[in-house]
Amino acid sequence: MNISPYFFYGFGGIAIACSLLVILKRNPVASAFSLVMVFFAFAGIYALLDAHLIATLQIFVYAGAIMVLFIFVIMLLNADVPSFDLGRTHLGIRIAAGLLSVATLALFIWAFSTTQLTPPVDQFTPERIEAAGGNTQVVSELMFSEYILPFELTSVLLLAAIVGAVAIAKRKLSEGRS
Amino acid sequence: MEVLKTIRPELLTLSQEQLNCLLPYFTVFGGTCLSIVLSVWGGLKPKWPVFLVTSLTCIIAMFLGSSSGDGTSHTLFNGMMVADAYSQFFNVIFLGAALFTIFSSFRYLDDEKLQHPEYYVLVMFAALGMMLMASALDLIVIFIALELMSLSVYILVGFRRNDRKSNEAAMKYFILGSAASAVLLYGSALIYGATGSTEIRSVLKFLQEHPQSLNPIFGLGFALVLFGFLFKVASVPFHMWMPDVYEGAPVPVTGFMTTGLKAAAFATFVRILATMGYGNGISAAIQNHLHDVLWVSCALTMLLGNFIALTQVNLKRMLAYSSIAHTGYLLLGILSGTRSELGFAPGVMYILVYAAMNLGAFVILTLLAAEGDSKLNLHDLSGVARRHPWLAFAMSVFLLSMAGIPPTAGFAAKYLVFYSAIQANEIPLAVIGVLSSAVSVYYYLRVLVYMYMKDPVGSPPVLRISLWSGLAVAAMILITIQVGVLPERMIDLAKRAVLSL
Repeated sequence: MNISPYFFYGFGGIAIACSLLVILKRNPVASAFSLVMVFFAFAGIYALLDAHLIATLQIFVYAGAIMVLFIFVIMLLNADVPSFDLGRTHLGIRIAAGLLSVATLALFIWAFSTTQLTPPVDQFTPERIEAAGGNTQVVSELMFSEYILPFELTSVLLLAAIVGAVAIAKRKLSEGRS
Repeated sequence: MEVLKTIRPELLTLSQEQLNCLLPYFTVFGGTCLSIVLSVWGGLKPKWPVFLVTSLTCIIAMFLGSSSGDGTSHTLFNGMMVADAYSQFFNVIFLGAALFTIFSSFRYLDDEKLQHPEYYVLVMFAALGMMLMASALDLIVIFIALELMSLSVYILVGFRRNDRKSNEAAMKYFILGSAASAVLLYGSALIYGATGSTEIRSVLKFLQEHPQSLNPIFGLGFALVLFGFLFKVASVPFHMWMPDVYEGAPVPVTGFMTTGLKAAAFATFVRILATMGYGNGISAAIQNHLHDVLWVSCALTMLLGNFIALTQVNLKRMLAYSSIAHTGYLLLGILSGTRSELGFAPGVMYILVYAAMNLGAFVILTLLAAEGDSKLNLHDLSGVARRHPWLAFAMSVFLLSMAGIPPTAGFAAKYLVFYSAIQANEIPLAVIGVLSSAVSVYYYLRVLVYMYMKDPVGSPPVLRISLWSGLAVAAMILITIQVGVLPERMIDLAKRAVLSL
């Protein structure tokens, strides 16, 4: 384990700061770019954990493909800032929400600081993965044997999402085709 | 150093029995794919072919699902999924809900100018997601199946694209539902972190071998998963989304949501609880916490649902709140399942009965709804009995059943749930349940009063009742009365299902 705490805290800090920016920025494009930064920070954390494949995929798929699409859509829709302005929420609700968030955060900090995790007996140590042919090979072998069901179900889910997108986005839907 | 073994040949083949168990799932998926192809086939009007293919698929899969099993449970895909009497029982409920939703939507979609083949495809996808949820034993699979179901339903809720209310409902449901899914996913991740497995049986095994791993992190994870499910079944602190969504969705979709979605969430919930050893006691502390959380939620759900339903004049909204109240009775059945002789059987039977009567009521609402789901207020029902005596009779049966009046199925189911609650020594909850159930009689009977004793306002149009909706209503009436008069068989079925857990 060569995890360096400084890098971890660095990436973690970037991730948290940028996540906050995602919801605090008024401009949707700025929000989207903050989200890209969050994904890069995640990729850094994955790399620190020796999950190089996941780190690369994170950058390719999320930061690359998905976010570029996202930003294109936002720009094409030409959504202006006021349409994201929902007006002011009631002060009491805001205070209650803030208090609840702080309480939840405190709960999580308490849980993670008091717990002594029993490390589960894990066969996937970095050395053994290295010996078995590296991250990519092990992940792909597992994906197509042990985790075949979730893998295939994900494609069913994507198919459903495509049909749903067609149903929502099809032009001239109101006239009906039949 | 031992070499990693990542490919296990025994996982790559399916035996004949396993294949048989998977047949209903394959049938539903195959039928869905076929209807996708049919809906874009050049020169073909997709309305009839897609309708016929999806309904036939449901019927075939129901038949396969109920006949294929030999009563033993088969573990599939490395323990990620299991086919047993329990999943069979629920598969029939889900497919039945999908089938009758399709039947009742057929004419409705024509009237509303929404006749698009995607509607049927999405209903089938949702049904497939529900089936997988009820048979999944792995948190990853549960999550994906849940998303498959929810995603299809988000779209169905917003299917009336030109309607503001429908859009708003879909948006609300999508955002809140995604948040709930995220909570559930985070909970699963924490459970994985604490125990090193996402598979429920392995989690339990690990906890039994390492009692010290019942730590706050595991507790948090379990709580988050629990909240995710409570959101999906809309029990009280998490019910806010429900009335608006139910009101904004097209009527048949609302019917599908109250039956299929709720049954699926409960089925998974009960399976997780039973597999996690709820009742056999993995730990007294967790047991007590879980009991307390469910207790509060159950009491609030029964009270709030029934009392707010009293003030509603829109039938869709009224049934939405009544559906919250029924969630409370279901939770009561689960809560007391651990310490009564019938186990989870009353709860499971209540799910079936509730699905039947609620689906029936919503098929009738679908028939009554005018353009854009208007005319569903109480006074619009005035004098329905004079114009459509049979329709009014059917509606009365369903409403009386929901109120729990003999000789309908609702009475038998409620009786069993309260009986097992008393056995489990949940006296306060049983009292709350019976009293709030008495309150509910008021708003159910009010509909009857409007239908039978008030004069019609103006001259409402005579409804055309399609053959398919008629079939759906007749089937639901049959179940409601049959279970009400002779509940034995259904109790046995429920018992068998629960025993296979």
